[in-house]
Amino acid sequence: MKILQSWLQDFIDIDLTPEELAQKFTELGIEVASVEKKGADFEGVTVAQITHIENHPNSDHLHLVDLDLGGGKSQRVVCGAPNVAVGQKVPLAHVGARLGKVVLTPAKIRGVVSEGMICSSDELGLSNTRARGILVLDDNIPLGTDVRTLYGKADALFDLEITSNRPDLLSHLGVARELAVLLNKPVKMPKPQEFAGEGESLQVDIRAPQGCQRYTSRLIRGVKNAESPDFIKERLSAMGLNPKNALVDVTNYVMFELGQPLHAFDRNEIDGDTVVVRWAEKGEKFILLDGRELTLDEHALMIGDEHKATALAGIMGGQNSGIKENTTDIFIESAYFDAPTINKTSKKYGVSSDSSQRFERGADIGMTQLALKRATELFVAACGGTPSQISDVYPQPYENPVVSFTPAQINGILGTGIEEEKLKDIFSRLALHFDASGDVWSFQAPTHRRDLNHRWDLAEEAARFAGFDCIPAGQSRAFVGFTENPKGVDLLEILGDRLAGLGFYECKNIDFLGEKELQAFGFSTKNAVKIKNAMAKGWDYLRPTLLPSLLKNIAFNQSRGNHDLAFFEATRTFSLIKGFPAETYTISGVQCGQRVSVPFFKGNGDKPDFYFLKGILQAVLGSFEGVSFIPAKETPVYMHPKICMDIIVNGKKAGLFGAIHPLTLKHCGVKESEVWAFEFAVKPLEKNFSAQQFKPAKPAPTFPPSLRDLSVLVDKDVPYARLAEIVRQTALPVSVHFDLIDLYEGDRLPAGKKSVTFTLAFSAPDRTLKDTETEAAFNTLLEKLRTQAGAELR
Amino acid sequence: MNLQQFKELCAQIEREYTDKIASAADLNAVEELRVASLGRKGALTELLKNLKDFSIEEKKEAGPLGNALKAALTQALEEKTAALSAQALNEELNRVDLDLTLPARPAAMGKRHPLSIAQKRMTDILSKLGFTWAEGPWVEDEKHNFDMLNIPKHHPARDAQDTFFAETGSPLSLVLRTHTSNVQSRFMEKHKPPIRIMAPGRVFRNDSLDATHSPVFHQIEGLYVDKNVSMADLKRDLTAFMKGLLGDKTEIRFRPSFFPFTEPSAEVDVKCVFCEGKGCPICKGTGWIEMLGSGVVNPHVLKNCGIDPEIYSGYAFGMGVERLAMMMMDINDIRTFYENDLRILNQF
Repeated sequence: MKILQSWLQDFIDIDLTPEELAQKFTELGIEVASVEKKGADFEGVTVAQITHIENHPNSDHLHLVDLDLGGGKSQRVVCGAPNVAVGQKVPLAHVGARLGKVVLTPAKIRGVVSEGMICSSDELGLSNTRARGILVLDDNIPLGTDVRTLYGKADALFDLEITSNRPDLLSHLGVARELAVLLNKPVKMPKPQEFAGEGESLQVDIRAPQGCQRYTSRLIRGVKNAESPDFIKERLSAMGLNPKNALVDVTNYVMFELGQPLHAFDRNEIDGDTVVVRWAEKGEKFILLDGRELTLDEHALMIGDEHKATALAGIMGGQNSGIKENTTDIFIESAYFDAPTINKTSKKYGVSSDSSQRFERGADIGMTQLALKRATELFVAACGGTPSQISDVYPQPYENPVVSFTPAQINGILGTGIEEEKLKDIFSRLALHFDASGDVWSFQAPTHRRDLNHRWDLAEEAARFAGFDCIPAGQSRAFVGFTENPKGVDLLEILGDRLAGLGFYECKNIDFLGEKELQAFGFSTKNAVKIKNAMAKGWDYLRPTLLPSLLKNIAFNQSRGNHDLAFFEATRTFSLIKGFPAETYTISGVQCGQRVSVPFFKGNGDKPDFYFLKGILQAVLGSFEGVSFIPAKETPVYMHPKICMDIIVNGKKAGLFGAIHPLTLKHCGVKESEVWAFEFAVKPLEKNFSAQQFKPAKPAPTFPPSLRDLSVLVDKDVPYARLAEIVRQTALPVSVHFDLIDLYEGDRLPAGKKSVTFTLAFSAPDRTLKDTETEAAFNTLLEKLRTQAGAELR
Repeated sequence: MNLQQFKELCAQIEREYTDKIASAADLNAVEELRVASLGRKGALTELLKNLKDFSIEEKKEAGPLGNALKAALTQALEEKTAALSAQALNEELNRVDLDLTLPARPAAMGKRHPLSIAQKRMTDILSKLGFTWAEGPWVEDEKHNFDMLNIPKHHPARDAQDTFFAETGSPLSLVLRTHTSNVQSRFMEKHKPPIRIMAPGRVFRNDSLDATHSPVFHQIEGLYVDKNVSMADLKRDLTAFMKGLLGDKTEIRFRPSFFPFTEPSAEVDVKCVFCEGKGCPICKGTGWIEMLGSGVVNPHVLKNCGIDPEIYSGYAFGMGVERLAMMMMDINDIRTFYENDLRILNQF
């Protein structure tokens, strides 16, 4: 909302600079987006012409400038502006001149006395531009002219950000009322000229009482459209509007002044003598003032006559009834329309106006008459004409609720100790009715403050007008209690830290992806959460997987010259289960290039392979019970068909890891043929995790193990997991730990065979094993491997 | 040989070999001295052979004398051997020529995302202030995201949020939550006061992606509901929170504002940490930086959640994680967080 300080001063006497006023707005909670100073806030500056320039004897950038002041007088001053030139007409401030709050005195500049100053526009307070140098005036301006006459009176234009709960501040009167409470000054309410009124206005028939609670109107007959008076044109221009003609301008002017939107119809476009306020018919067509055609439904509120609609109520008039240059009789509407109705319609059809923005926030139902009278006064002054009587249809006069409260309650909400007298003072200035005679006070807000409905609202008013700094930092209070973090949150933190420790960088990505990506990753659009009003194509769905984003992170980094990458993301993924959205915490990671991105002069070592990836997963998930990895039963399309393992938690698949399919890489723009990836859901791990449980320790063995190597030949297609399982499941009187230390396939072996070598560590918790015990255990294992996997000792 | 001669020879051997061992140049010389003194034909061995010719009385005197000498020489030889070995080892070590200033072998080290770091710091502080972590859905129904929070349908406050709507099979109209405040309505609906929770997480706004806007960003919400909770409690806790976040000298101020779910509402500024309130480009010369929105929980919100506002009251606040991270990490484009350029990620 733009507010002109001079306009404000029509309603309240304020003696504040624009800066001080802006500070007051901020204290009241009204954000000031900008302050634009206008006009001349100076005295004693006249037009002079430069006749001669010479260098200052003691400076290489200052000049001594001679000026012709007109009337045969001249003056020499010191000037440092780079743009000074002979022949220029410039504003010269004389000794004693006032520039804003500064009074000019003679100044000695590097040894030369300067009795006067050539001014820049900045020094005159004319603009905020950073144009360097003195202000150069038009050549035609006579010498000696008071520069003040070239720029109007000093003024300031504030751009205020009005929050949606304060529609009453969307006018000059409203802002003045607010300041009046703060500054404890009276509001000078407008007192428009009263007209007796000749003849009746049109009949008003409100057939949609829910949509329109008050309709005030009158006719003015015999007007002659004219240009608006200067003050209206100037003020509307300042508000950013192009003045058109008085019949149009006055409605806007009154709206900015009093906050009440008005609409003027051409009387002769209204059939009959009745104006109807009604709901639209379903499918009803209506052409707006701006030419757009709407097809309406029964929730839109219309103004019209018995035959047709003439306006979309409170939002915009129709093309058929607008004011024209030759309009002679006007019908002026000053109404109160229901806020949600206007909001709904404005949003639904995408039509918004200064009028609708006021109605949808809530106009002042008590303002319709005054606004109509003010408009009448201005219309008649500019265009003549004869006003009719006023018609005011207001079946149920509105009153705000009475709020009962005690001063202790107000201070309780705020945690303050504002004195009762101070509270009384503030509330009496705000209220329509205020009674503080008993222990319980009662307050009723005027109609323009519908936001003051309960004591919490009044507490805010008390704090605002007493100053928010009156709120102290309270005394400390007891601790509420202890609750553990949600398990998923803790797991995300722990697993994320592990991954970071293992060389993975955390990424954060926008949660959206497109249909193409869903398809490329084999996800059905039917099971993904779609965004109805996506902001861009390719951002239509919430991610069911984090891998596409991470692969794009790789592609992006490659384009920036980063090739050795290990990334992870830990956040929610989304899917639809039986049509309902489901959110799960998911952790995904990708790795490509060298393990370490910084080159090392001794070489970076081997490039990571599948077993590196498996090691990462083991390091991250190994501490959880019930986690195992098995070759994928079904490999998703985006994974390498032969290099993919499932992550099993408590017997169920919780995720996967392996190599990304090269076509998927291509699709994501990754310039690398080998990218290792993993993705798993966090939820299944929660069962095997508790922040409150510590894992019990097993004692470290006291007795040294007996070591044996076991080398066997088996068929090539026997997987390692089978052999390991046999070793693990063989019942032995001693315990055995085993590691694979060699795997060989080649010409030196019989065809179709491979050699597998374990190192076995046999031990017992209570003794060193005898050779015979070790030997027996070794032979038992060998026998099991032989009978169950066809293994032969090598 | 008589006892006297034996004693003299002992003394002579002791003198001779003690000196020689002490001045031996290397391990070979020590070995030669060992052979020459204690070897099969060594000087002391030879001398001790004479013991057999002595009387018992003489043996009692000569025997221990000889043994003591043998022990002394043995010890001297061992000590010399150890000393020379250590010396030899040190000489070898000193021949090592390694340029220690060469670059390190880089360890594979990853990092948490700057937003995670910022959020963790904030949740750590709030946790110390007694706030427990609460979660809520990111795809939320309009009831919990708007209606219960006193943001009615067909009100401009609702329009201001630039909401994403989700298309699902649910009979409810679902949105991507526009703020973390949905956790307020979710939590209060299920729990009785006292309540003291924080709710960090992602939120969504249908806003263009530019230097200062992102359709996805992070907030952290605080909520405290108990008997007699006031604006002063809010000021105390936010002062502690901001001191934790920005340092002990931090000052805050309240400015009136409007949020549908709080009444009274306050915008919270902190005294600019870069210029200590003197005015600088970061605080746009005002000396204060806008940090978060807050206020006393609107009684309608309590009522909507089944909490009696005549008995209980509360405060709530909400803060942007990106905003803080950008300020403290000197990042001036919000997109930086979502590009995930390794050269940025590896700095934190």
